[in-house]
Amino acid sequence: MSLDISFIGILIGSIMASSVPLILAASGELVTERSGVLNLGVEGMMIIGAISGFALMVITDNLFIAIVGSMLSGVIISLIFGFLSQSLLTNHVATGLALTIFGIGLSAMLGKNFVGIPGKEFPILFSSLKESIPFFGPILFGHSIVLYFAFALPFLTNYFLKKTKLGLVVRAVGDSPVSASNQGINVILVRYCCILYGGAMCGLAGAYLSLIYTPQWIENMTAGRGWIALALVVFATWSPIKVLIGALIFGGITILQLHMQAIGFRIPVQFLSALPYLMTIIVLVVISRDSRKIKLNTPTSLGRIFYKEK
Amino acid sequence: MTTDLRISNVSKIYPGCIANDNVSLQFKSGKIYALLGENGAGKSTLVKILSGVVSPDNGEVFLNEKNLKLSSPLDAKKNKIGMVFQHFNLFETLSVFENLSIDATEDNESLRVRVNEILKKYNFSIDLDVPVLNLSAGQKQKVEIIRCLLRSPKVLIMDEPTSVLTEQETEELFISLKKFCDEGILIIYITHKLKEVLSLCDEVAVMRKGKVVSVSQTQNERVETLANKMVGQKLAKIKKKINISKNKDEIFKVKHLNFYSDDPFETNLVNLNFSVKRGECLGIAGISGNGQNELFQILSGEIITPDTSIIFRNKEIAKLNPKQRREYLMAFSPEDRISQAAVPELKIYENVALNNFKSSNFFEKGLVNEKKIKEHSKKILSDFSVNTDNVELKSQFLSGGNLQKLILGRELITAPELLICYNPTWGLDVGAINYIHETLIKINNQEKSTILISTDTEELLKLSDRIAVIYKGKLSKIMPSEEVTPEKLGVLMGGGSID
Repeated sequence: MSLDISFIGILIGSIMASSVPLILAASGELVTERSGVLNLGVEGMMIIGAISGFALMVITDNLFIAIVGSMLSGVIISLIFGFLSQSLLTNHVATGLALTIFGIGLSAMLGKNFVGIPGKEFPILFSSLKESIPFFGPILFGHSIVLYFAFALPFLTNYFLKKTKLGLVVRAVGDSPVSASNQGINVILVRYCCILYGGAMCGLAGAYLSLIYTPQWIENMTAGRGWIALALVVFATWSPIKVLIGALIFGGITILQLHMQAIGFRIPVQFLSALPYLMTIIVLVVISRDSRKIKLNTPTSLGRIFYKEK
Repeated sequence: MTTDLRISNVSKIYPGCIANDNVSLQFKSGKIYALLGENGAGKSTLVKILSGVVSPDNGEVFLNEKNLKLSSPLDAKKNKIGMVFQHFNLFETLSVFENLSIDATEDNESLRVRVNEILKKYNFSIDLDVPVLNLSAGQKQKVEIIRCLLRSPKVLIMDEPTSVLTEQETEELFISLKKFCDEGILIIYITHKLKEVLSLCDEVAVMRKGKVVSVSQTQNERVETLANKMVGQKLAKIKKKINISKNKDEIFKVKHLNFYSDDPFETNLVNLNFSVKRGECLGIAGISGNGQNELFQILSGEIITPDTSIIFRNKEIAKLNPKQRREYLMAFSPEDRISQAAVPELKIYENVALNNFKSSNFFEKGLVNEKKIKEHSKKILSDFSVNTDNVELKSQFLSGGNLQKLILGRELITAPELLICYNPTWGLDVGAINYIHETLIKINNQEKSTILISTDTEELLKLSDRIAVIYKGKLSKIMPSEEVTPEKLGVLMGGGSID
């Protein structure tokens, strides 16, 4: 098979598309975790986003409503997590796991009547430029607006955390909620906001799957991407830019190994399937091995329950 | 303009404990006030009320005759009450400047200008752009102080500020506090260190069991009078009878102790040689950070150094780990009670079981013999007068003094031949210090030996038979303690030489 230049362009374009849900969910979870909250419900929030986005699209026939609705549904389900973990002080890990199990179950139930319904074509931007420019065309153009947003998001998140006052507050709360509270910061409110934001991004990540990437509803269609996103956040040591790199590597090797399987490389399929996980971990471990930086980026209070003295 | 702070009939009751019992106090700017009391006397609760962290059940706080409703830290801030907490309220992973900017209302440029002005005015040198976790305790405290100063406070409350400082840093702090006082800031200084009260403060209020028991001018007080007010009973003066005798055998002998580390935060030790006789207390003085940490870890077996010879009861033990050394009847009491000596989240009896010595029978066939451990723990609690008999209590709820008693009890119940302790009375109140000192003297009287590594010269002079000073990893010559004066120690600890 000839690996001509335009094929590589198309390949890169498809790698980018496949990494969008990971970037969105991981960027959202990253902000949540930076505030000291460990929400393991990413998979659950994504799948709820996927079904509600698809259902709203079928019912209203309006993609804008579907996208906004999927984010809202992510917000609502993360609100359950917020209420339990922040107001009722339940254990973060157990609550997050419950949220995922709940989300998968609920989505299957809600989605019963939507199985087999064909999706709607999602508008893509600059489709003429995609065809006319070789190599760069399929990379830079002809994507949905959600993809452009997803690729901007890690940079926006980085800017938010590093440069803005609110970002500073989020990091402070994640570092030491007790100190933050003594400084007059409303820790619970900040954490609620971060949880809800994470929920919205996970909902959007789910909707990207069911509305854009593979426009249909299939039960359990997130297929573990939520867990990958969670792992990305940790291996990227809570740095948004590294999350982007990790997501691209994971998406890239997933696509590449599929091509390799199709071509018939004499490597066991099982090994090829495991390759994305392996490579992502190796690369992220290598680029994040500065222990001083890890210490500075890690939210010290991650997963610890905070309650206010009275 | 003067500031007038009045606390009127404040009470705060926690389940099972009256933290503040109808406390009334009055403060005026231009003076430094001490709030003195043992751990658990209610000082910290009062401070938390003043800073809005907890709300009182009863009573009011007036600032210049205005009734303050302090229901959150924000209220305290708005009313210009600044607070430097004992356990720093800083964000370790954020930079110094980020820590300062988090609740600033101005933009970063003008904030930086103001911070630099403060740095210059009070002669503080702190790099604003390094993360706080890289700072020393003294620098962290300065960051907290700067944070308060940025809000031009009327009242500045310092909660046990010197418990983590070196003597040098303490002196610097006192100079700054006096400057603040001259500038019209009302300073309330919380402490249980009597000498600090006398050297720094103008007026002193003593608290005991939640009540204010005395308010007086410091010039009318002495260490003894304050101590008695604080403890509520006359403290027995303890003085050791020096029992050094030339012909006792050497039970512990260290030769060629060298330690080299790449870590810039560790101190290298250079050729230490010393020995301890039976029934003797060898004191090792020094300002913290001169190699005491490393020395303690090597003596306890946490660090094994090559080419060092440690002879204990005629056996070479330099290559043994802490557990094996314990089996040879050594015992250890590290400096940091919370993180090194005990696990705060575990219950008292579980912490006792951690020091599982050979003859204990705490574990049988891999199973925990809870009954035996609990009996044993009860005995420690009563023998060492820890103020609880509940072995199920989590260790983190013990006060520092009680935790130290528990640890000493745990270590001593095996009847060790040698106890090595490092700052055993660090951060404790007078009553607890007295108890620990009595215990250490008792050990020596029973012909057991101790090595006391301490930064408290008074303690060393009181307890040691012989004293050496460690400075930059080197040990001075060992002197009989009757030849040592505080001045001599001070010179050696500062790197000078005598003779």
